[in-house]
Amino acid sequence: MAKSSRRAESYRYWYLVLVPLLAILTLVEFYPLVDGVRLSLTGSSGQLSLSNYSQMLTDRSFWSAVSVSLAYTIGSTVICIALGLGLTYLVTQKVRGRGYFEAIYVFPLATAPIVVGTLWSPSSTWDDIQSFLHFILHQPYFNELSIGFFFPVMVFSEAWEWAPLVMLVALSIINSQSPQIFEAAELHGASALQKFRMVGLPMVLRSPVMQFVIVLRMIDAMGSFAIPLSWSNWVGYPYNVGSPVDTLSLFMYKLIFIPEYGFPIGLVSAVAVALLAVTLVVAFVLIRMMGRALPLSGGG
Amino acid sequence: MGQNTKKRRPSLGSVMTYVVLVLAALYSFWPILVMALEGYQIDLAPLFSGKAVRSIGGVPFYSGGIYPTPIHYIDAIKIVAFPRLLGNTSLIAAISISVALAAGVTAAYALARLPVRGKGFITYTLLALRAVSPFALIVPLYIFFTRNGLWDTYLGVGLAEEVAILSMVVWMLRGFFTDIPKEVYDAAAVFGASEWQIFRRVALRMVIPGIVVTSLFAFVLIWNEFPISEILTGPVTKTVAVGVWSGLGETTNSFMEVSFDDLNAAGFLAWIPAIIVILAIRRYLAKGYSLGTASSK
Repeated sequence: MAKSSRRAESYRYWYLVLVPLLAILTLVEFYPLVDGVRLSLTGSSGQLSLSNYSQMLTDRSFWSAVSVSLAYTIGSTVICIALGLGLTYLVTQKVRGRGYFEAIYVFPLATAPIVVGTLWSPSSTWDDIQSFLHFILHQPYFNELSIGFFFPVMVFSEAWEWAPLVMLVALSIINSQSPQIFEAAELHGASALQKFRMVGLPMVLRSPVMQFVIVLRMIDAMGSFAIPLSWSNWVGYPYNVGSPVDTLSLFMYKLIFIPEYGFPIGLVSAVAVALLAVTLVVAFVLIRMMGRALPLSGGG
Repeated sequence: MGQNTKKRRPSLGSVMTYVVLVLAALYSFWPILVMALEGYQIDLAPLFSGKAVRSIGGVPFYSGGIYPTPIHYIDAIKIVAFPRLLGNTSLIAAISISVALAAGVTAAYALARLPVRGKGFITYTLLALRAVSPFALIVPLYIFFTRNGLWDTYLGVGLAEEVAILSMVVWMLRGFFTDIPKEVYDAAAVFGASEWQIFRRVALRMVIPGIVVTSLFAFVLIWNEFPISEILTGPVTKTVAVGVWSGLGETTNSFMEVSFDDLNAAGFLAWIPAIIVILAIRRYLAKGYSLGTASSK
């Protein structure tokens, strides 16, 4: 009894170790967040005003950016999960050298998003694909400047980069389970595909860890910037907002840096607050999920 | 018996498996290979066509075909100033990771184990902040940095990169502290160690590999991080990720356009350190990206 109270006593000053952490968060997170809200509520002559929000809500480029962001997020997340699970199926096959394949499949993860934007651009990878389709399969050329071509490619390149992450998480979930589950399925005569579809897949998709990672992925896709930025150059929209590749982030970036728009601080801040509102809702979902994935236990 | 029949018919099945594995490998590294070769001015399209065609802006043009030259790699090193970018990024990453570890290690320990005040609040705030896009912070940060002389300084950018790594660092370290078996902590307590002694002499030593992994992971995040460095770095502190997009044009050759092939060469050079680190910590990547929730085995 005496001992435990002595211990409790010794924890008294431990909250001090959280102070440096809070100081950094205040500088680079809390202060900018609060200041962003303040800037968004400041009118052109410095008074408290909602004019920035009304300007934002009546701006067609804003709504265009919202829909582009949504399509981009949903599309890339769905493709990313599908590709990642496909890769998982492949590397769980019992063949020699699968470790090497697993290593190769991780390659895209190391590529910077801004480089991914260049990789999948019309003059890089699509060059080869076009030649292949045109000269070997005798298909007509894609018009690379049509939205029906470049938007799916852009969304796909985001998925290409992050599919290995889904694979790695899926593998860690499968490997943390008892292999006897798969052995049992094998005894019942399940083929490799059946084992994956009926045992591995439900195991992975029901895992709170996987769901958590998918939500994180959606958040990052929602804020995606580098890939759309590079595409806005390849398809000829570097200097105007409201283009079909302008996500919310790119929309804000263009408002800040293209001289023609004159850095409308209030408007950009209003868009930032809108973006923040969406993320806070998702963050709430995340916290609920994290509670299931990893209960916040006292430990020790 | 079942084992035997399985072993007897690997031929078609496993050949098919290998074919698919190789196709998937092509899908994974083809674009990177194209980038590497594009830097040498080797265009693989003629391999598929017999004709050297490359489409620029949707219009098919005659392509260079295969004319290997190291000139774009030399350009990447000289015009894009790759060594300079590499130094900048390393310095920024070093500052950022040191600050994150200095503030994060003890905090992560406290958050993992101790009933300290505000523990739940901080743990979940860090998680929520992980969800905040840098673009929700960037305008006030940009204004604050320009007014206080932090814009385009190593210290300023290093601090700003905490946005990209701090949540991950604390959550991941917290996971490593939680992974230490409870018995270890109990044993230390039985020997009469104070909480600080348990932290310094036992827990800290056990998570050193975890700290290394976390730092390497943070390094990759900063190495590839684009939006924050694009906006908060200038001619002096420009990082690799920004440089492979725009070159270092402003300071060295403001009139010189960085060519597409130079970008590819620089992009490939930038990829090499990242892939080395990524492969080195491959076992822990799932853990890192899931903020420590996935297991590392």
